[in-house]
Amino acid sequence: MTSDLDLHHLAAAYALDALDAGERIAFEAHYHDCAICSQDVRDFRSTLAAVGELSVSAPPASMKASVLGQIAVTRQLSPRVATRTVVTAPERRPWLLAAAAVLLVFVATTAFVVGRGSQTDDAFASQLEQVLAEPDVRLVDLPATSATTDGHFRIAWSAGSGKAAVLADGLSAPDSGLVYELWLIDDSGAWATGMLDAADDGEVHRILSLTGNPIKWAITIEPEAGTVSATGEILFVGDA
Amino acid sequence: MRRLRAVPSADAAAVSDPFASDLIRCGRGDQVAFAALYDQLAPHIYGIVLRVVRDPSQAEEVTQEVFVELWRIAPRFDGQKGTVKAWSSTVAHRRAVDRVRSEQSARDRTDKESQKRITETDVVAEAVETTFDQARVRRALAQLTPGQREAVELAYFGAHTYREVAVLLGVAEGTIKSRIRDGMIRLRDELGAEAP
Repeated sequence: MTSDLDLHHLAAAYALDALDAGERIAFEAHYHDCAICSQDVRDFRSTLAAVGELSVSAPPASMKASVLGQIAVTRQLSPRVATRTVVTAPERRPWLLAAAAVLLVFVATTAFVVGRGSQTDDAFASQLEQVLAEPDVRLVDLPATSATTDGHFRIAWSAGSGKAAVLADGLSAPDSGLVYELWLIDDSGAWATGMLDAADDGEVHRILSLTGNPIKWAITIEPEAGTVSATGEILFVGDA
Repeated sequence: MRRLRAVPSADAAAVSDPFASDLIRCGRGDQVAFAALYDQLAPHIYGIVLRVVRDPSQAEEVTQEVFVELWRIAPRFDGQKGTVKAWSSTVAHRRAVDRVRSEQSARDRTDKESQKRITETDVVAEAVETTFDQARVRRALAQLTPGQREAVELAYFGAHTYREVAVLLGVAEGTIKSRIRDGMIRLRDELGAEAP
């Protein structure tokens, strides 16, 4: 089992890009909030930059013009703005849950009215209601980790029924061949739970059957073909 | 356990980072500053990528992707988190590893060639010309035990996960994890946290 202590021990392997997908996601979800691991990662990356001195090699001369040509037509990201506060799990107060449930239903139904109102959406709405009616339902906000990531994820999770309702809106469409992926992070690592296709309107409405004891949830973008090794950064994360 | 180190990192490194001012200008869309930065960093970046992907034409492709990515994310560079060189090396290595692994997984899906994965431990080549920095790194690497050095090199240059390294060497995963960790701590302590 991977305890927090074990996660600390993964900083070196992480800096070497030598973790497999699940561990990498679990470590990333952990280390930004851990002063020791952040410092370790920073130090090890500096160390590796120094090791890179040994492999210095002159690139083909034609590359510079090509790179400069490409950057001239590449839009830059906006800088991060202000300080993003660390999001902590809300206390489990019944009134809060009830309020949030109403909000979820509102968000979902609004989407249906505005959207297609198809049969799949109706099925989702009734399943969502069932999840929200579970006595142990827990609502989790997954804010974007960067100010430049569009959209927002919410999860209603009931461990008892093993159902998770995943809602998102305002997402930008991933490049072709890529999809959003939900990760369940527990004591022993991160587990890919399902590919989430964002509709053309940038929304996700999915019910997933899951088992586990999540500590956090995270969203990345991964190749549609299946995740042998995760390539995506964590885009959204929230404490379960 | 965490060792105490005399070497300051982060803040001091950020202040003394020779590329920071160019990078900040890149972040504001300055393509001339980017060209200057390219000249400074390209041999380093290309070298890391080539070392990992090995095929020169693929290395060229990946290196270009890396530079375009650095340009794209330049406005979000945070000097508090390390030097420009460390940051760009991280992006480069990650891209190179992604390339190797996605090709690997594509191959794994079509046939069972996974065992043909490069398995040689490639000892850092003895360069003809040795700069001061290179000599310093070689001395530091020489402080590692052979097992630590092998594990770190297979992971970093071989693009293997530590679990794969364990399989390649026929050693328990926990042992490899420790060798990698102990090896990296030793290297860090030998080199100091600040990149040249």
